[in-house]
Amino acid sequence: MLTRIIQHELRNLSRDRTLWIVTGLLAVIVGYGVFNGASWVRFQKQTINEVTADEAQKFAAIRNNIVKFDDGSAQPAPNADPRDPAFAGRNIGQRYAIMPPAPLAALSIGQSDLYPYYFRVTTRSKQAFINAAEIENPNNLLAGRFDLAFVIVYLYPLLILVLSYNLLSAEKEGGQLAMVGAQPVSLRTIVLGKVALRACVILALSIGFSLLGILLSNIGFFSGSSDSSEATLRLGMWVVVVTAYGAFWFAVAVAINALGRSSATNAVVLSGMWLLFVLVVPSLVNLTATTFYPVPSRVELINAIRDASNEATAEGSNLLSKYYEDHPELIAEAKNQDPTGFAFRFYATQEKVDRSIEPVLRRFDEQLTRQQTLVNGARLLSPAIVTQEALNDIAGTSVSRYRYFLKQVDGFHASWKAFFVPKVFRQVKLNLSDYNRMPEFVWQEEAIGTVANRVFVGVFGLLVPALLVGALGIFAIRRYPISN
Amino acid sequence: MIAVIARKEFTEMLRDGRFRVAAAIVFTLLLVSLLMGWTHFRSVNAQHETAQRTTREQWLNQGNKGPHSAAHYGVYAFKPKMPLSLVDQGVDNYTGVAVWLEAHKQNDLAYRPAQDSTAVARFGELTAATVLQILLPLLIVLLTFASFAGEREQGTLRQVVSLGVKKRDLAFGKALGTAGALMLLLVPATIIGVAALAFASDDGAWLASASRMFLIGASYLLYFTIFIAVSLTVSSLVRSSRVALVALLAFWIVNSLIAPRAAADAAKRVYPTPSAFEFTAAMESDVGKGINGHNQSNPQRQELLRQTLAKYNVGRVEDLPFNFDGIALQAAEEHGYTVFDEHYGEMWEGFERQNKLQQVASIVAPALAIRSLSMGLAGSDFTQHRDFANAAESHRRSMIKLMNEDITRNSRSGDTAYVAGRNLWETLPRFEYRAPGVVRVLANQMWSIGGLLGWVVMGVCAMLIAATRMKVD
Repeated sequence: MLTRIIQHELRNLSRDRTLWIVTGLLAVIVGYGVFNGASWVRFQKQTINEVTADEAQKFAAIRNNIVKFDDGSAQPAPNADPRDPAFAGRNIGQRYAIMPPAPLAALSIGQSDLYPYYFRVTTRSKQAFINAAEIENPNNLLAGRFDLAFVIVYLYPLLILVLSYNLLSAEKEGGQLAMVGAQPVSLRTIVLGKVALRACVILALSIGFSLLGILLSNIGFFSGSSDSSEATLRLGMWVVVVTAYGAFWFAVAVAINALGRSSATNAVVLSGMWLLFVLVVPSLVNLTATTFYPVPSRVELINAIRDASNEATAEGSNLLSKYYEDHPELIAEAKNQDPTGFAFRFYATQEKVDRSIEPVLRRFDEQLTRQQTLVNGARLLSPAIVTQEALNDIAGTSVSRYRYFLKQVDGFHASWKAFFVPKVFRQVKLNLSDYNRMPEFVWQEEAIGTVANRVFVGVFGLLVPALLVGALGIFAIRRYPISN
Repeated sequence: MIAVIARKEFTEMLRDGRFRVAAAIVFTLLLVSLLMGWTHFRSVNAQHETAQRTTREQWLNQGNKGPHSAAHYGVYAFKPKMPLSLVDQGVDNYTGVAVWLEAHKQNDLAYRPAQDSTAVARFGELTAATVLQILLPLLIVLLTFASFAGEREQGTLRQVVSLGVKKRDLAFGKALGTAGALMLLLVPATIIGVAALAFASDDGAWLASASRMFLIGASYLLYFTIFIAVSLTVSSLVRSSRVALVALLAFWIVNSLIAPRAAADAAKRVYPTPSAFEFTAAMESDVGKGINGHNQSNPQRQELLRQTLAKYNVGRVEDLPFNFDGIALQAAEEHGYTVFDEHYGEMWEGFERQNKLQQVASIVAPALAIRSLSMGLAGSDFTQHRDFANAAESHRRSMIKLMNEDITRNSRSGDTAYVAGRNLWETLPRFEYRAPGVVRVLANQMWSIGGLLGWVVMGVCAMLIAATRMKVD
């Protein structure tokens, strides 16, 4: 019986212009969304290539210069000798710490246009390089990007609602429902058949057009054997999220239809629900988070750092003896050198500054984490937030991945300093083999298990309301007034 | 006759339960957003004012040191929030709040508030502007989609027209009735908004924003007129109220949701901007090509030294009646200024051209016009940000000039032990920033104003033509 209903619905829908308009629209917006996402990924990859090439070029030039300085055929500029570990670590021996875009980054631009994806690491304090930002017109950041995630979160529910807002009410108003209802078939089966067909059509079209778009945009989705299994896993998660989100909206459509009102009323109520879940609730969640857990002032942070560095510079030689207390391994190395040298004072000051601002930075991070936790919990109030965060996680453009990157940068910064600082205190000159042994940043991708965990909590947060609402709807169908 | 029709429409709307619920929700959201905007404005401004005082004290209390060290220490400038940003935050969250004014480098403003927010913030902030630009038009659509189409279906349209009522009067009456119903919730909200503005800044500077307030209010009224006109046009043209609703909702979605993003993408494609890496690399390379004030072996510096020695007719740099280092440093800075002006100017011009294109695109979607105009008048758009950045940069250049002139005048070449004290630091005036006048803002928004007015004219004409030709059954 169900299959017969589905076949009949297919015939009905394909005669109705609505389905073809929806198909056409979906093709255009999905294609455009994937195209935009792919352009952004291409821009990032191109920048990363330029950055890596620049680093390699600079290191090659330094190596050439060292050879020339060593054999005396050229003289280094004053205070600019690449063999001086203080100068090398601070100025020219810079390494870039780069976070490459994840395999499916084209699916959701997410937060990746707001946060930097590479840093120029030096021996200076982290504050010197951590505030980099990509160049982008703030108007465009405000408007947001037209990527596939936008299509899925905002427009895909609308298309679902367009196809199913008059699921039952159209036939009721036309009188056909009374005739069909007189047959030995339950209304529940009819509804399930209609929903099943619409769901299959919309899902097939959405997922199909997206995959087509990804393949056509040629962003190297299937590049690399170890990557492609992870990429396929991410794609699988993406399909699950899109299906769960669709299931939620179909459940809502069925529940509203089951109330037995007219098509026009259904349309208005469903638009209201869309507005509520996709526009209003996210803004309210954001408002609550920023009201109850406001991020402490960056502006105060700036002045705290300045005060700390003032104190540190004023302390001068006292600072240096404190530094030696904390780093006894360096006393032996510095024994014969002038302890008041610029380099020594520089590192001692840096360490004091870093230590004084650490509590301020920690409080800042704690507030931010509390805000993120609140939002993580509150996101279950709106399936739109859940879906957006899940898509960001799958595409690797979420804040979590960015924080993971920051932790790795911290570790690299520490190892970078650990390479140069002892050499500064020992006043040892760098040679070519040192330049070959300089620490390099190796990007470690987040374990796919961690990502999958986050995504599946989201999917759960979509399926539970979907099942609840759907069950309520199916239950209410019992009392559905088939004819007026 | 129009007044009678308007009054009937107004009463009918007020009795409609759906209108009451929807209007109550919109009004509550407006109040909440105004309150939140007010709180946010006060706290951010207080922070920035305190920080501006602190950085000035840090500058004055930096002790005795060489003027060039002081220039390296520099000062910070903190961007103040404009009073009307409590209505429209604009791009304030996506632009930096503080800039370090130091020697040798023009820094861009850092610390964008959005980077400290969560991903939910990208869904949009709840401000009075978003409620007025996105939710209120939806309310208008709900009120008016069945104005003509619904009456036609019920049969009352034929009766009214058979009485001899001019269809044009009917259209005007319905429009005015809807406007009246909207005023019920807009007037109290406006009064509360003006009160919030008055209590927002303690020094009564809000009066200076009076013209901006008035113009913002007028722009929003024009925007609502567009929606009323378009709604009534569609309602009179289509066959059934259901089709009218779907068509108007589609217009609303394309206008409010899709157009801003599509316009942003189009603008980026037509006027692309460089990546941060290319920008920094190009700037550093150009600066490196010029005179270097520190490096004695820099050929341009040596040339300048030769010229200066010749000009003062002395043989050695020590015989000059001033410190040549100061001259060299200032020359290096001025070379830097031309490079920075060129590169930053090009980047910011790129942004302005993108924004202009988005204004022009309002021919297709009026939401782009009101967005741009509202941000501009509230003082939270990119042009305002750029104005502040330029003011901060002028302050930086004054600071550097003062330091270098002091080195030149009060010390001699090779004198590395020269220190200055608070007397010199105090010669740098406190950094005061004044926002540009409303005329400058309007001049920058000509395309938005044109788009808005164009839509109003076209909308009202279309409404009249459609109403006059509408079929009565």
